[in-house]
Amino acid sequence: MKRKVGELILILCFYLFQVSLGRVIAIAGIVPNFLIILPVLFGFFKGKNEGMFVGFFAGMMYDLFFSGLFGFSSLIFIYVGYFAGFFYQKYEEREILIPMSMILIADFGFAFLSYVGNFLLHNRLNVGFFMSRFILPEVVYTLIISVIVYKPILFLSNRLDIVRSRRRIKEIYERNH
Amino acid sequence: MKKLSSFMNSKYILIALTALCFLFIGTSFFTDKLTTPLRNVVSVVVVPIQKGMNNIGMWLSEKYDTLQEISVVMDNNKELQSQVDALTEENNQLKLDTYELDRLRDLYELDQKYVGYTKIGARVVGTTSDNWSSSFQIDKGTEDGVEVDMNVIASGGLVGIISEAGPHYSIVKTITEDSSQVSAMLIDTNETCMVKGDIELMDSGLIHLHSLKKDVVIRNGDKLVTSNISDRYLEGILIGYAKDVEMDSNNLTQSGYLVPAVDFSNLQEVLIITQKKNQ
Repeated sequence: MKRKVGELILILCFYLFQVSLGRVIAIAGIVPNFLIILPVLFGFFKGKNEGMFVGFFAGMMYDLFFSGLFGFSSLIFIYVGYFAGFFYQKYEEREILIPMSMILIADFGFAFLSYVGNFLLHNRLNVGFFMSRFILPEVVYTLIISVIVYKPILFLSNRLDIVRSRRRIKEIYERNH
Repeated sequence: MKKLSSFMNSKYILIALTALCFLFIGTSFFTDKLTTPLRNVVSVVVVPIQKGMNNIGMWLSEKYDTLQEISVVMDNNKELQSQVDALTEENNQLKLDTYELDRLRDLYELDQKYVGYTKIGARVVGTTSDNWSSSFQIDKGTEDGVEVDMNVIASGGLVGIISEAGPHYSIVKTITEDSSQVSAMLIDTNETCMVKGDIELMDSGLIHLHSLKKDVVIRNGDKLVTSNISDRYLEGILIGYAKDVEMDSNNLTQSGYLVPAVDFSNLQEVLIITQKKNQ
């Protein structure tokens, strides 16, 4: 429970980064996608269920105020968390390139699907422009941000586990005495 | 117990959450009853923090700007001193002209339309979560008297319109946004045309102007204001200045670009006109 609350607070923080800090650090109007980093990393650190949980709420925050199609980002983020969960315990956590490449694929896929939904279906066929002006810069910027936040999130994620296991040890200890 | 753990299998959770998301998407096509309470709850937590972050950011950037400016100011100071003398002389001349202008204004009884509207000031506290749209969030909501469809202006020009309003926040849809259309007219001839945002013109800062009749004479720099036939925008708010308007290939209409009067790249404060068109 503590872990879930911790994750929700982290999602709220990342949402604030996205909408408030994003304005300040935007390069040529491109804000990195902070929120998609979370389901990938939690899926990678803690497995499919955790990834899906984080993905669901991160996607909801992403859509809440600005999207006309509430639930779309949640859907994508759930799948992102689920597929990131396939690599759970398959690699060492210091192998930063694995989660990086997952973030790359996830953000690219998400941005491309939003392009298709928002523009391609409205007869905006200039894929090259959208690719070079919006999607690829966003992916690169998101990757840079994820390199920066990787270690802190890993630390936080482990920290949340320690809290839980300490309590569990205490429970076991009390049961035995 | 075994039965329960088999339901907690991630595949089942995935299917359940997918179904839930499709339910959300489905309902969001028809109504926003589902998201409104959620928005209100989250905004109670989020908006004050956003305001705080915004204030810190503004303070920092102000300090940064001051530091940067000092060196520039020193250089400029000498140059400006010499200009002051020249300008003082010119100023005397202009003062005479102003007296004359004031007199003429009184004669014409120039109608000061904007001044009549009551306005609320608001601060920009957040941008969209995605990069596609240029909407933004402001820190005033229905409890401050903001309603959906109110016009938003800044530095004398049209910014956009309130598209959503919560108790303590509202979302402004700008005229540069891809899906936004505003009916405009030329200030001198009252010929109407449409102004349409386009994401592909984002870098140039321009917006599209189209559906202007073919026999209308329009030059670069002609002022365009919101038209009298629009049902959401109040009449006579400056939108911007015409640029490169040319005849279309259909030989019936003209189209071109419009330079917005507002600098959208660095919008900090906006004014909301509390009067609505269709009332």
